[in-house]
Amino acid sequence: MLELVNLKKAFGSHVVLDDISLTVPTGEIVSILGPSGCGKTTLLNVILGLTELTSGKIIYDGVDLSSVPMKKRGFNIVFQDFALFPNLNAYDNIVYGLRNNKNASTPAEVNDLIDLLNLREHLSKRIDELSGGQKQRVAIARTLVMKPKVLLLDEPLSALDGLIKESIKERIKTIARQFNLTTIIVTHDPEEALSLSDRVLILNNGKVAQYAEPKTIIHAPESSFIKDFILKQLMIKRDNIFRLFDSTMPAVPAMSYMQTAAASA
Amino acid sequence: MQFLGRERPELKLSFLLCALFLALILAYPLFSILRLAFIGEQGFTLSYITDALTRDSFYTAFLNSFKVSALVALLATAIGFFAAYGLSFCAFKNKTRSLIEVVLLLPLFLPSITYGFAVIYSFGRQGLITRAIGQLPFSIYGFAGLVIAGVIYTLPPAFMIMQNSFAYVDRNFVTVSKVMGDGLLRQFYQTALRPTLGSLVSAFILAFFLNFTDFGIPTSIAGRYDVIATRLYATMMGAVPDFNNGSVIALSMLIPSIISVVILRRCSRLNFRYNKISKEPPAPNRLRDTCFGTFYALLSLLLIGVFAIIFIVPFVKSWPYQAYFTLDTIRRVFAENDIAGTYINSLGVAAASALCGTALCYLAGMVNARSKLPGWCKALMDIFAMVTNIVPGMVLGVGFLFAFSGTALANTFAILVLANVVHFFTTPYLMAQQAFSKMNAGFETTAALMGDTWFQTLRRVVIPNSFGTILQMFSYLFVNSMVTISAIVFLVGAYTQVTTSKIKELQYFEKFDAIFTLSVLIFITNVAVKLLIDGYGAYQRHRQNHSAK
Ligand SMILES: Nc1ncnc2c1ncn2[C@@H]1O[C@H](COP(=O)(O)OP(=O)(O)OP(=O)(O)O)[C@@H](O)[C@H]1O
Ligand SMILES: [Mg+2]
Repeated sequence: MLELVNLKKAFGSHVVLDDISLTVPTGEIVSILGPSGCGKTTLLNVILGLTELTSGKIIYDGVDLSSVPMKKRGFNIVFQDFALFPNLNAYDNIVYGLRNNKNASTPAEVNDLIDLLNLREHLSKRIDELSGGQKQRVAIARTLVMKPKVLLLDEPLSALDGLIKESIKERIKTIARQFNLTTIIVTHDPEEALSLSDRVLILNNGKVAQYAEPKTIIHAPESSFIKDFILKQLMIKRDNIFRLFDSTMPAVPAMSYMQTAAASA
Repeated sequence: MQFLGRERPELKLSFLLCALFLALILAYPLFSILRLAFIGEQGFTLSYITDALTRDSFYTAFLNSFKVSALVALLATAIGFFAAYGLSFCAFKNKTRSLIEVVLLLPLFLPSITYGFAVIYSFGRQGLITRAIGQLPFSIYGFAGLVIAGVIYTLPPAFMIMQNSFAYVDRNFVTVSKVMGDGLLRQFYQTALRPTLGSLVSAFILAFFLNFTDFGIPTSIAGRYDVIATRLYATMMGAVPDFNNGSVIALSMLIPSIISVVILRRCSRLNFRYNKISKEPPAPNRLRDTCFGTFYALLSLLLIGVFAIIFIVPFVKSWPYQAYFTLDTIRRVFAENDIAGTYINSLGVAAASALCGTALCYLAGMVNARSKLPGWCKALMDIFAMVTNIVPGMVLGVGFLFAFSGTALANTFAILVLANVVHFFTTPYLMAQQAFSKMNAGFETTAALMGDTWFQTLRRVVIPNSFGTILQMFSYLFVNSMVTISAIVFLVGAYTQVTTSKIKELQYFEKFDAIFTLSVLIFITNVAVKLLIDGYGAYQRHRQNHSAK
């Protein structure tokens, strides 16, 4: 179980994260959602240990990690641009961590991982010969070889297109279930967040706007910000799609929703 | 090291190392010059400045340098512009294209002091070119010689700047301009002159600066025509050295450099960049292609005509009277003068300078582009790069002389290496910095999460992914250390002669066969090193591409 207690992060006088407290049960997928600049990446880096906290605590399974350095926390991250090493091929990237810690995974485990992520036929390719989705999977495999306690993903889907996005989404879910791996995903796409995760953390201006299961967020949004910025987007998207598939479906709900939202704001 | 914030100790250490080292070998020598220029027996004084400024010889030398450099810069920029223009807009075969480039860049592999002698030999009374076009109506010593040698010296860098600029000029512009009904002149302005205006100014300024601060050419060909470089040398190393006056002259050399840097910063804004490099070759045009073909032929003939003499003299009995092939001359030259010893010294100094310089620039680039050290640490590296860029070699040499004479460093090879490392710091530093800023920002964090120490990441990821740049840095430093004279001429001792300073010494004895032999050695070495390094880089890339399969 990962607990964040009154996290605060400021760059100089600019407060980016303000009093963030929440609990992530082991094995759950949590999405961090919010507009650009609201502090999503910063929160991820703080959990990882890359960025120092201003105040507050990060506790994992009862151990306070706040002042434990990044390398010793046992968390791992997949960056948005993957950060694969171009001088090594796909396979050497995947097993990079084994050079330093031979026992992180057994050969059989590595093999399973390769099959699970469908990478077998790409192992000897150079990084620049891989497609975006393949790079993504190599980066995830490389991280999983290290058996992290918490897996952090920064906008893992934003560099991918349509169909690949859906398949990676499914893979992330499978992995989290199979390894009982706590996974925290940054995204700015509400649809992605709500369809992928067990819980969604909505940030606005560095504060928690709501932290709840997707259903709760849809049916009981806690603030006008969530209604205006998150649900409105989803409504428009839904209506567009309905209209495409079934022209008899009126576009009324979103419109009326927006009007009520505007009235309540 | 708390004041350096939260960063790996290795990077903090790299920063401290770079900063202290550069302070010692850059800031301290410059400070020594200031001290000699402003501090007399009774403390602070302006008397050395006023003293220097009341001497006519100072004004004459300064003005002469100014005149020569302005004319040189104008000519080199114009020639460089048309050379680059032709390559960009004419339909030449790729082979022709590379050949022209190679010929134009050839002078880079020779020391500037050699150009002077080559020009004397080619335009002198018995010279190859004099024979071809007849006696020149003026003496080659002095103004004319300085201008000719200066143009040869500054043409390669001017050409490179212009060529780089033309690479970004969209040739579709020509079509657009034609369609709009522009006349020829207007078309030329719109499609060639205006887009490269910023680079033209840059090329001019750079050529001016290079020529103003060069020592090799004036020492070989200026004769009694006084320029600032020879004035400084005479003041410092003459029969009655005057260090206070020398330091004032050295400071005066900084003035054009500082102005250059300010202008260069400004005119980078004049450039407009198209974001794609035009690939499709230009359409053939008989008249234009013939004109430029002739232009290149003449230019190449001139350059080769000047340089040919360097490769002829060592291999004939006695130029020009007994001009038949023999190895006697070269044998005699090797036997009489300590050519082999000097050459080995040079190789050692160049290799050591290249190694140390590459390491220093690499670390400094890393501090600047790949660390989370406080902003002032990164800015400090940039400031060092800017200052080393401003300070001419001669000024650096004078500073080193003041700062380190009497210390254990004096008259050692180490001081030559140190001088070269600061002298040529800027370019390899910028190469490293650029390579680092293009490199994925997540490498270090990712590797650290995989259990790497900083050194392991450096060895396994950072160095392999910047290997091409490292080779280029090394090659740049090596070639420049081989051909430089301006800083080290103040620092070589009796037992630490290198080829360029030896050439200067041989000049007193008028041993031109030995001078040209050394020049040939330098040239061959530089070309060999360049080819080897480029070849090795290509091989590495090839291997990396294929080992993956
Ligand atoms: N190292 C830093 N120094 C100063 N300010 C920073 C630093 N890193 C981030 N910030 C600021 O913190 C705020 C949050 O940045 P962050 O990168 O966490 O946003 P984000 O939610 O990830 O945005 P995006 O969706 O655009 O990626 C921004 O205002 C940013 O300017
Ligand atoms: Mg972000």
